[in-house]
Amino acid sequence: MKSMWSLKLSTAALVLIPAAIGINYLGKLFASLLKLPLWVDSIGTVLASMLAGPIVGAIAGIVNNVVYGFTTDPVSFVYAITSAVIGLVTGIMAYKGWISNIGKAIVLGLAVGFIAATVSTPLNIIFWEGTTGNIWGDALFATMLAQDMPLWLASFADSIVVDVPDKVVTVLLSFLIFKGLPKNVKNMYDNTGEIERI
Amino acid sequence: MSVLTVTNLKYRYPAQDKSIFALNDLSFTVGKGEFIGIVGRNTAGKTTLCYALSGLVPHFFKGAYGGDVHIGVMDVLSYEISDIAAKVGLVFENPFSQMTGAKFTVYDEIAFGLENLGIPREEMHERIRASMQLLDIEGLGNKNPFSLSGGQMQRVAIASVIAMKPDILILDEPTSQLDPEGAEEVFRVVGKMAEGGMTIIMVEQKMEKLAAYADRILLMHDGKLIQDGKPAEVFSRDDLELYGVEPPMVVKVSRTLQVRNEETGLYPITQKEMPAELDIAFHVVETSGKNTNTTSEIVVRNLHFGYENGNDVIRGLNVSLQGEPIAIIGQNGAGKTTFVKLLKALLTPQRGEIVIDGVRSTDSTAAKLASRIGLIFQNPNDQIFKNKVIDEVMFGPLNIGQSPEVATENAKAMLELVGLAGKEEENPYDLSLAERKMVAMASILAMDTDIVIFDEPTMGQDYSGKSKVKEIIHSLYEQGKLVICILHDMDFVADTFGRTIIFSEGGMVFDGPTREAFAQEDALRAARVEQPHLTQLARKLGYEGIILKENELQTANMFE
Amino acid sequence: MNNMTLYVKKDSPVHLVDPLTKLLFTFFSITLTYIVSNHLAVLLILLCTFTILVAGKVFKYILPVIGVSFLLILSIIIVQGFFHPDRETLLFEVGPIPIYKEGFSIAFLITLRVVNMVSAFGVLILTTKPDDLVNALLRKGLSPRFGYVLLSVLQIIPQMIALTGKITDAQRARGMETEGGLWLRFKSFIPLLGPVILNSLNETRERSIALEIRGFNAKGPRTYLHKHETYRYGLHLKILLTVIFVAVVVWRFVS
Repeated sequence: MKSMWSLKLSTAALVLIPAAIGINYLGKLFASLLKLPLWVDSIGTVLASMLAGPIVGAIAGIVNNVVYGFTTDPVSFVYAITSAVIGLVTGIMAYKGWISNIGKAIVLGLAVGFIAATVSTPLNIIFWEGTTGNIWGDALFATMLAQDMPLWLASFADSIVVDVPDKVVTVLLSFLIFKGLPKNVKNMYDNTGEIERI
Repeated sequence: MSVLTVTNLKYRYPAQDKSIFALNDLSFTVGKGEFIGIVGRNTAGKTTLCYALSGLVPHFFKGAYGGDVHIGVMDVLSYEISDIAAKVGLVFENPFSQMTGAKFTVYDEIAFGLENLGIPREEMHERIRASMQLLDIEGLGNKNPFSLSGGQMQRVAIASVIAMKPDILILDEPTSQLDPEGAEEVFRVVGKMAEGGMTIIMVEQKMEKLAAYADRILLMHDGKLIQDGKPAEVFSRDDLELYGVEPPMVVKVSRTLQVRNEETGLYPITQKEMPAELDIAFHVVETSGKNTNTTSEIVVRNLHFGYENGNDVIRGLNVSLQGEPIAIIGQNGAGKTTFVKLLKALLTPQRGEIVIDGVRSTDSTAAKLASRIGLIFQNPNDQIFKNKVIDEVMFGPLNIGQSPEVATENAKAMLELVGLAGKEEENPYDLSLAERKMVAMASILAMDTDIVIFDEPTMGQDYSGKSKVKEIIHSLYEQGKLVICILHDMDFVADTFGRTIIFSEGGMVFDGPTREAFAQEDALRAARVEQPHLTQLARKLGYEGIILKENELQTANMFE
Repeated sequence: MNNMTLYVKKDSPVHLVDPLTKLLFTFFSITLTYIVSNHLAVLLILLCTFTILVAGKVFKYILPVIGVSFLLILSIIIVQGFFHPDRETLLFEVGPIPIYKEGFSIAFLITLRVVNMVSAFGVLILTTKPDDLVNALLRKGLSPRFGYVLLSVLQIIPQMIALTGKITDAQRARGMETEGGLWLRFKSFIPLLGPVILNSLNETRERSIALEIRGFNAKGPRTYLHKHETYRYGLHLKILLTVIFVAVVVWRFVS
């Protein structure tokens, strides 16, 4: 990869986007079939960022929420920005080497969760005065409000509780999967290979 | 003038060892209207050659590239894929991934390439209609591409590239992932296009078809061109099997009978070329006799099952399965896969019972049955998730409670059996699909179950893969295991199995010795199954009975 | 064939409106409810949206879509109703718990906004075929490569969902349990999702090849099989919508 910011996307990178969105969708589906207490609905976005960089990851994130909004739940449009940021942060940090070992991957997961929560908080405040619709998060939100803490802080705490554990698990799973991918898949999205004349 | 000229073509994939060339110094030319067959084992480099002829090598795959490919006067290296696409059409194995996914009807799907090339609207409509007609898919125009059968989808894929009016059509094993009916649909249109004078280059494992259509055959091995010759010349090589190629049945029979053309010394490759006045003796050879090994026993009584109420897929099945390996044949939708899923308790019978060595399957769960019955599914990609072959193979054994030591030992033994010894540490997705099928097979065999069920183990395998499967089936039986096998490949059934069950519309229409099964013309017709090629050939040579193996034919004078 | 869309085929005037006009409506409708904080005004906007849904003969189809956001709405009502920071005017008490008017007022407003958001999107997505919307965007200059991404998602996800049954069977056949304690269920997540991921990533190669050989990257001018759908009153409606939008915004900041 020469630069992670190249906007000239290869066909393989473009085709990766629908695949990533499908993976997101099935991650969520299997998690609910297995009754796991997490969403794990962004494995595809995170993998796309690791494989093809922040731009592809961010596009995958946005398109994911737009399509999901179109087909199931319009509220997910609101969080398109959060998904884009998840893709961006993962892509940049992966490029800078934060997926070289499992310890770093955990840090990456924490960072992604923290930043996702930071981006979601103003959205939650603008659109629904701070709640998230997640029972545990909103219970914390209510408790903090009852103790007269500021709305933004309560809302941020609400998002943190919801996002951080989920994103740490998501990034860890994605990291494990990414490490196990065959070479020919990892190389496929690299747009900068040269033809060597022999 | 030739439409295609390949000169000293050399190619190495990126991130490959410097000494490994996927294509190694190939040179040949193709004239307008010629039909070229490409044969060789799975690792011969046939697919890479197809990529090179359509510009994907080197433009899509990058890597190291030497020599030249000219399409007419166009030098592949200095043009882009989209320019080459207008000249060369490529169709490959998997029909599903050739659908763009962005079009909601077959008609629009075919238009995809034309829109990209900027073809005027009126001409687009004309071309789409013409190519749909050529491919016999006029009735499918308004259907969603993904709702089609494999054979239909593959014909849509061909129509989509034909509509771009290429000078050359390349078909890379277009039928290897299709059932016999789908394959026949595709071959029929390929024959039609060949007669229409289109230049076709086709990679194929079914040599009968190449023998019928090809003007020339390229035999490849390890990236090299071993021979470029007339079909009769290539198929008459006595070392063909060494290159993983099984000659057409007529050639195999002619070899046994030593029937050669006196002038050229070549074998006949189609039935028409067989001398009519041959004096052939037929004698049935019963191998192995009655089975001696005892195996587990499955007894099925009055089995009923349907996915929707009132629409039974399995209708009142009664059968006892034990002893020698059993083949199950019948068309798609006859209920074969449903039947084996019931045996494996992945589905629950609505009526009737399945008793395995005296225990009813309903008294057991799928996970418990995992240690009794092994079921090998058709598509290995539905199960592979580990990044090392050995770990993938050990997943099942560990699940059913084998200790890590035992599991490792079993896994290694089974990888040896399927011919993948030495690939334990590789990533399954760095292997070919045929090899992945073997990994999936090993992963079930390592569970060391008493009963082993295969669903289509020979699909997509080349000659050596098939021989391997045959070996595995025999060795399992020798270990005292019950082997049940769903198959579409009748030649393989005739060659390997003593007992055959014919399925049709959710019931059995025949159960008995394979030789008798292939004599049941009504039952075979009902199940839409053809006799083995050899049986058909023997019939045409004047033998009324059922011949299953080549050694059952001899020229009369060979007995003297 | 499930194509992943909420589109409902009906014969109505709303169905005939230019998708871009509906997109504009959705945007204006949602934005307005967040610009005005007057209950009555928001309610009026919501009624407007409902009227269009009724005119489009799709009103009953929006209810399950609103239902998806039920948890969010419930949470808003409870949390804001009981705990909103402005707790001044006591409305009434349920046992020992005081309920304040300010909180409920806010909760009611947000609920109206959420319902309007979902319904406004409903106007677009219930009455517009996804490919019509993407095609309309393509004519406005959306890159065809990006249009491909949007449309293919709709077809590829159902194909991937169809895989789940096969994968579950294949792994259960190898003795994997899907029911039991949390850790056991968590452990079976990777064997289930792993094949999906590997399959689909591997398939991206083949699909890229299929696209490339059909001229996906051609540089020349492209053509379209289907004629541009002409929508009546497209421009008029857009101007009308914009005028209303600007008027309300001006009213909000002037008054």
